[in-house]
Amino acid sequence: MSILLNNVSKNYGTQNIVRDFSLEIESGELFVLLGPSGSGKSTLLRMIAGLTPLDTGEIYLNERDVTALPPQKRGIGFVFQNYSLFQHMTAAQNIAFGLEIQKVPKPERDARVNELLGLIGMADLGNRMPSQLSGGQQQRVAVARALAQRPEVLLLDEPFGALDVKIRAQLRQNLREIQQQLNVTAILVTHDQDEAFELADRIGVIDGGKLLEVGSPYQLYRKPQHRFTATFLGSVNLLAAQRNGTTIHLGDKQLPAPPQTDHLAGKSVEMMLRPESVEIALAPDNLNGYFLGSGVVESIAFAGALERATIRLPDWEQPVQALLNPDKARELNIRPGDRVYVGVRDFHLLPLN
Amino acid sequence: MRDKPVRTFWPWLLIGAVLLYAGLLLIAPIAAVIGGAFEDGIEPVLQAIAAPDALVALRLTFVLAISASVINAVLGIIVAWVLVRHRFPGKWFFNALVDLPFVVSPVIVGYVMIVLFGRTGWLQNFPIQLAFSLPGMLVVTVFVSLPFVIREVMPVLASLTQEQEEAAYTLGASFRTTFFRIVFPAIRHGIIYGVVLTLARALGEFGAVAVIGGGVQGVTETATIYIYRSLHDRNDVGAYSMAITLGLVSVGILVVMNWLRRDSHEKGTQHVHPTE
Repeated sequence: MSILLNNVSKNYGTQNIVRDFSLEIESGELFVLLGPSGSGKSTLLRMIAGLTPLDTGEIYLNERDVTALPPQKRGIGFVFQNYSLFQHMTAAQNIAFGLEIQKVPKPERDARVNELLGLIGMADLGNRMPSQLSGGQQQRVAVARALAQRPEVLLLDEPFGALDVKIRAQLRQNLREIQQQLNVTAILVTHDQDEAFELADRIGVIDGGKLLEVGSPYQLYRKPQHRFTATFLGSVNLLAAQRNGTTIHLGDKQLPAPPQTDHLAGKSVEMMLRPESVEIALAPDNLNGYFLGSGVVESIAFAGALERATIRLPDWEQPVQALLNPDKARELNIRPGDRVYVGVRDFHLLPLN
Repeated sequence: MRDKPVRTFWPWLLIGAVLLYAGLLLIAPIAAVIGGAFEDGIEPVLQAIAAPDALVALRLTFVLAISASVINAVLGIIVAWVLVRHRFPGKWFFNALVDLPFVVSPVIVGYVMIVLFGRTGWLQNFPIQLAFSLPGMLVVTVFVSLPFVIREVMPVLASLTQEQEEAAYTLGASFRTTFFRIVFPAIRHGIIYGVVLTLARALGEFGAVAVIGGGVQGVTETATIYIYRSLHDRNDVGAYSMAITLGLVSVGILVVMNWLRRDSHEKGTQHVHPTE
């Protein structure tokens, strides 16, 4: 594997920033470390880069123990959130900086710089100073600069955090293409779940300095193991229930247990319903999934491509959120105060803790 | 839309008062010096400046000022770096101490040096003779002009994000390379500005060098001490001529300083430091 972290920890005073963090990342993988701000994800990335020393643990890059090595000797490329371009150098000079340090001969260096400028779609902007470039262009130069020396590992610390939504989407696409084209192993740190879903081969969810779970975007969204993952990745309805044998008891309703949840047999659980899996009908017979109960519509809100309905069911503490596509919403034509029947197409179980 | 300012009598009075004040305090002395020097034409001025003692004094002043500027530039950058980038016990005290030369009279500085290094001083066996000598004059000149580079460089260094240095490290650059290729260009305006101020201050120093050097004519006499002695000796042309020479250099420094300030301001506005 390309990156291996063994029980890495970091404390500032009595505060645990990163706790006993272990992770393996395969060559060529784009791994996204996803967590809220203050979860320790940036500190972890800086430790991999050698910019922050670790208290305990080991870091291996391509089977090489780099734990004690300075950033200069780790063979990594690092992209900072605020670009951090050298302000007194042109875009081309910024990209060439690392090659100059390595004493790459000028013709070869120039060729590499031009190649990278082409790769980021800025072939004719090499002579611009950073102050003459937009935020998105500056960040692309920063990516090119980090890639110039063909690092084994590319580390990106919230690289699109300072950019507006539209440019962010473009750059994500651009980054994914470059990463796949060069087949470089990359770790990207972000708090943005959309970014994680769009880019990641695998996502690691970090909270309070601990790695909670690792999986593909689909896996973490559909079948998370932790409540935190379920709530952090998109919106979710959580309903307290009990699993006995292969049956879920939800109030007076009984539902079959979903697959891959045998380890929760005989336990108190929470049913996890994604709003897009929740069904609404005007009659119970019109529901295709499992019938959950009837309730009163609290609100209907426009949510871009979909409409978000909030329904209060008498037995449940929290109202249920449902996402309806516009056709369905028009067909139902429900208003706040209307009585509706609620069902669910599929759901997942979380351990209650 | 902004209203056009209504000019009444009072602002004009204020402007007039300021101009009068500046004129009396700043321009009148310059005019007097120029007028006095050229009273009998340019010949006596040139002769006075070409006098051997005058040339020695001028050379000594420049040697002292330039040496002090070089020393304070190098040490000032290091001190500023330590004060901005490192934490150590008693840092606040050391930071306050840097301003000491601003508040202590140079005469006292010279006197203290004599007390320390003079014939009966505590450190009289110091290997280098400092009292009544060029090294001693250099030490006090360095002392009185010490804060400028430090105080000019510290804020620019503090405003420089460390990420640029970290980026250089991840690209394989050593600390040394990073300092000279990344940090130095970013703080160079602060350094130059500090050095110019140091130079101006060192050129004009009188009290400290007079006390420690003793003002021996042709040996430890600087340009300012030369002016002082010429006035005593009723050598008005000599005093005026030296004053105008030093004055011209100072004006030159002022011009350079303003040009640098404008330059750095224009550069400064280009810097984009987006926050998170």
